[in-house]
Amino acid sequence: MTGINKNILRSVLVLSYIAIIALVLFGIGSLYSYLNTGADRSTMLHTEIKKIDQYLPKLEWAPLNNEGRPMDEQTLNALQNDYLDAWYVQHVAYKTNTLAGIEDYYTESARENISALVAENKPKHIAIEGTTLEHHLTLDFFSEDGQLAVVTDKNVIEFKRVFENDTLLLETTEQSTYKIIFLLEDGFWRIRHKIKEVSKAYKTKFGPANTEVTEIKGINYYPQASPWDMYGDKFDASIIAKDFKIIKDAGLNSIRIFVPYEDFGKANVKAEKLTKLKTVLDLAEAENLKVVITLFDFYGDYSVLNWTLNQHHAKTIVKAVKDYPALLAWDIKNEPNLDFKSRTKALVLAWLDNMIALVKSTDTKHPVTIGWSNAESATILKDELDFISFHYYEDLEDLEDTYKNLKLEITNKPIAITEFGMSSNRGLWHPFGNSEDDQAAYYKQAQALFKSYHMPFMSWTLYDFTKIPKEVVGRLPWRKQTQEHFGFINQNGETKPAFKYISKE
Amino acid sequence: MILKHTYLLLFGWMVLLSVPSYGNNGTIELITKTTEFEAGQAITLKFSNTDNATPSLYVSNSYGATLIKPEKDSGILNYLIPQSISNKTGVVHWKLLANNSLSGAFSVISKQKATSIETYLGPPSIQAGGTDYSMLVVIPTDYLDNPLADSTKVIVKHQFLDNQNKEVVLMNHRIAYKNIYSEPKTGRILVSSECLEFNSKEYTVNVLPAIPTDFDISYSRNHDYADGNQITTFSTSIIKDQYGNLVSDGTYVDFFITNRSNHILKTSGTTINGIAYAKMIHPDHEDQWSVKAFIEGMAESKPIQLAYKAIISDFNVQFSENSRTVTIGPLQSFMHQMVPDGLEVSLSVFQNDIKLKTLTKSAFEGYATFKLDTNNFPSDNYTLKIETAGVQKTYTNVKL
Repeated sequence: MTGINKNILRSVLVLSYIAIIALVLFGIGSLYSYLNTGADRSTMLHTEIKKIDQYLPKLEWAPLNNEGRPMDEQTLNALQNDYLDAWYVQHVAYKTNTLAGIEDYYTESARENISALVAENKPKHIAIEGTTLEHHLTLDFFSEDGQLAVVTDKNVIEFKRVFENDTLLLETTEQSTYKIIFLLEDGFWRIRHKIKEVSKAYKTKFGPANTEVTEIKGINYYPQASPWDMYGDKFDASIIAKDFKIIKDAGLNSIRIFVPYEDFGKANVKAEKLTKLKTVLDLAEAENLKVVITLFDFYGDYSVLNWTLNQHHAKTIVKAVKDYPALLAWDIKNEPNLDFKSRTKALVLAWLDNMIALVKSTDTKHPVTIGWSNAESATILKDELDFISFHYYEDLEDLEDTYKNLKLEITNKPIAITEFGMSSNRGLWHPFGNSEDDQAAYYKQAQALFKSYHMPFMSWTLYDFTKIPKEVVGRLPWRKQTQEHFGFINQNGETKPAFKYISKE
Repeated sequence: MILKHTYLLLFGWMVLLSVPSYGNNGTIELITKTTEFEAGQAITLKFSNTDNATPSLYVSNSYGATLIKPEKDSGILNYLIPQSISNKTGVVHWKLLANNSLSGAFSVISKQKATSIETYLGPPSIQAGGTDYSMLVVIPTDYLDNPLADSTKVIVKHQFLDNQNKEVVLMNHRIAYKNIYSEPKTGRILVSSECLEFNSKEYTVNVLPAIPTDFDISYSRNHDYADGNQITTFSTSIIKDQYGNLVSDGTYVDFFITNRSNHILKTSGTTINGIAYAKMIHPDHEDQWSVKAFIEGMAESKPIQLAYKAIISDFNVQFSENSRTVTIGPLQSFMHQMVPDGLEVSLSVFQNDIKLKTLTKSAFEGYATFKLDTNNFPSDNYTLKIETAGVQKTYTNVKL
C-alpha cells in the first residue's frame, strides 16, 4: 500500500517538475521572442512613401496643346502636385503668418513676394484663412530641356476669410485667372512668377433641383445590430432587405440614412464602403423605397484648409450614386447648427454654403436639404436649399404653431420633419420616463397632425438598439438608455404599441 | 401677362445690378478713376466719405491679400496701397469693408523697361547636322522682378563660325523663346538676347559631332609569332560623323577577336582625335584571329584577319628519379632563343584512360619541371600527356 503511494508521490513529483521546467522554458522562450520582435527589416531605411492628401481641390487640365516640348503624364503630375502644394503652403503662410514650406514651392525671388505680405500682415494681426476650390489648368509652354513651364490657371475659385485681431472681418469668394511660370529646381516645380490676370467676386448660383420631394412618409434607418456603424463588418444585405420590407409593409415610402465621413475614408472614399452604400440603394429600390442620404456624419472640423478634402469626399460619393433611382435627396449634414457654438456660426454656414454648391454642381437632379436640429434654425440658408428639413423632439402641442410659422417664412419650398420621435425610456435610469403606451400615444397624435397639415415626416427610428456608440450621446448611461428606446420594434424584435402609428392611416 | 411683368421686373433689376456698385451709393464713393498703374508707382485709392466711418480696405493681388486702414483727409479716405501689392503686376481686387460692400479692381502693369533678362538655355549641347536644336527661353523683367508685358519685342542673337543671326521674337505667355538649330560643323554657338535695349550676357551651346559612321581598323605587332608575350595593338581609322566631324574624344570602341576555336576575346579603347587604340597579348599557340570593332549601336568596322605562327615545333622531355621528375626543355623560340619566362606548360596524368590530374607550370629560363609525388601518384603505370605552345607529346605506360 505504502509502495503504491510512494510511486504515485514520486510520479507526481516528477511530472510537476517537468511541468515547472516546461513553464519556465516557455517563459524564457516567449521573453526571448518578444525581445527579438521589432521593426520589419524592410522598414529600416524608411523608404516607404507616406503621401497624405492634404489638398484636393477640383482640378482639370485642358487637352495638352502646348508650345515647346511635348509633355508627358508623369511630369505633368509632378507639376500639378507641386502646384497644389504651393497653394497649400501659401494658405498656411497667410493663415499663420509664417513661411514654413514656402521655400520648397517658390523660387528665391518669388518667395520675397510672400514674405513681404506676411511681413505686412503679421504686425497688423491680419490672418487670412483661404482655400481654392476649383482649378482649370492649361499648359501653355514647356521648354525643350524640361526645366521651365508656363501654365494658365483659369477661373480659380478662391475662398478667403480675413481676420484682424481674431475678428472675422470679411468672407470673400473670388474667381481669378493666373498665369504661372514654373522652374524645375532641386526636383521641385517651383513658382517663379505668378500673375493674376483676371479677378472678380464670385457667387455660385444654382437653380432648383430637377426633381422635387413629394409626400415623404419615412423613417430614419439603422440596422438593429449596428446602429451608427451601418457599413462596418456587420453589414448584412439580407438583414437590411428584411428591414426594408418591414418599412414598406408598414406603409412608409422612404428612409433617411447616414454616410459617416471618417468611416468612408475621408478624402479617399473607400471603394468597399461605396459598394455597401450602393447595395443599400439597390435594396431600397427593390422595395420601392426612396432614400435621403445624409452626408458628413461624425464630422465637425469645418476648417477652411480641409475644405478641398471634404469636397473631394462629397463629390466622390455624390457622383457614384446620383443615378440610382432610389435616391430621393441629399441632406448635406445632420444638425450642423449644433456646431455653431464650437466652430462659429459664420464658418459652419460658409462651409455649408460651399458644400451645397458642390453637391448641386455634381448632381443637378436631386434636391438638397440640411437636417437642422430644431425649427428655429430651419430658415437658415433657406434660399440655397431645395427643401427645408428640421428635427422635432419638442412638445407636440407646439408643433402646429411652429409649422404654421415656418410656412409663413418659407412659402415656396416644401418643409419636412426629418427626425422626430419619443423614447419609451421608462426604466432604472428614468423611473418616471415614458412608457411604450406613452410612445404610442405620441405617434398617434403626431400622425394626426401630419395628416391634417400634409407634413412630410421621417421618424426616429425603426429599432430599439442595444449598443449606442459613445460618439452619439456620450458615455452617460441615462442618456444611452434614452437613445436605446426610440424604436418601433424592441430589442427582442417585437413590435411596440407605437408600431401601429408608424405611418398615416 | 404676369409672366411678362415678372420678366420685365427681373430684367430691370438685373440692369440696376449691372451698374457699378459705387454708382448708386450715397455715403462712400470711389474718387480714383484710374484703373491701371505702373508697378512701383505709389497707388492711393481715394474715397469720398460723408460720415465718420473709416472702414478697412481689403486688397488682393497675385500673391496674397491684406487689409489697409485709411488716412482721413477732409472728408476723403485715402488708402495707400502697400508696396508688396503695388510692386507686383496683375489684377488687384479690392473690397471696402463697409456696409455697402463697395468693390472693384485695378491692374498693375510692369514698367516697360528691362533691367534683367533671365535666360534659360537648354539642352547645353546638341548634335551637329541641323536637326538638333537648343531652346533659348528668356524672361525679361523690370526692376521689380515683374515679367514685361506680352508682345514685347525680344531680339535673339546667335553666332556660329561665320554666321551671325538676329531675330525678333515677341513675348507670349510672359516669356520669349527661340529654337537654335545646329549646323553641319561642330563648335560653339554663342547666344544672347536683347530686350528694349537691354542686353543679356553671352551663353554658349556646344555643338557636338553627330553619330559616327562606319570605319576601318588595322593592327601593328612586333612579330607574328604566338609567343604569349608580345602585344598586338589595334587601331581604328579616323572616325568621323556623316558631316566629316571627328567623333568626340572618349568615344568607346569595342574590339571583338574571334579565334580559331570560335572563342571571343574582347578589348576596347576610347578615341582621341578620332582614333581609338586597343591592345591584346599574343596567343601562346598558333592561331588565326578575326577582329571586328564596334561603337555600340552606332557604327562598326569591317573584319580583319591575323595569323600567329607557332614558336615551338618540338621539345625534349627528360624523366629522372624513377620518372617522378619530369623536366621539359629546353623550350626554344623562333631564333632558338629560350622562350620568355611564363610560357604555360601542362602535364596531364592518365590511368586507364581516366584523367587523374592536370598540373601546370610556367616555363622559367626555358625549362619547366614537374615532380610527381607518391601520395598523389602511387607506384603504377601512368600515361603522361605534355602540352606547351600548342604542341602535344604523350608517353604511355610510364612506370612511376
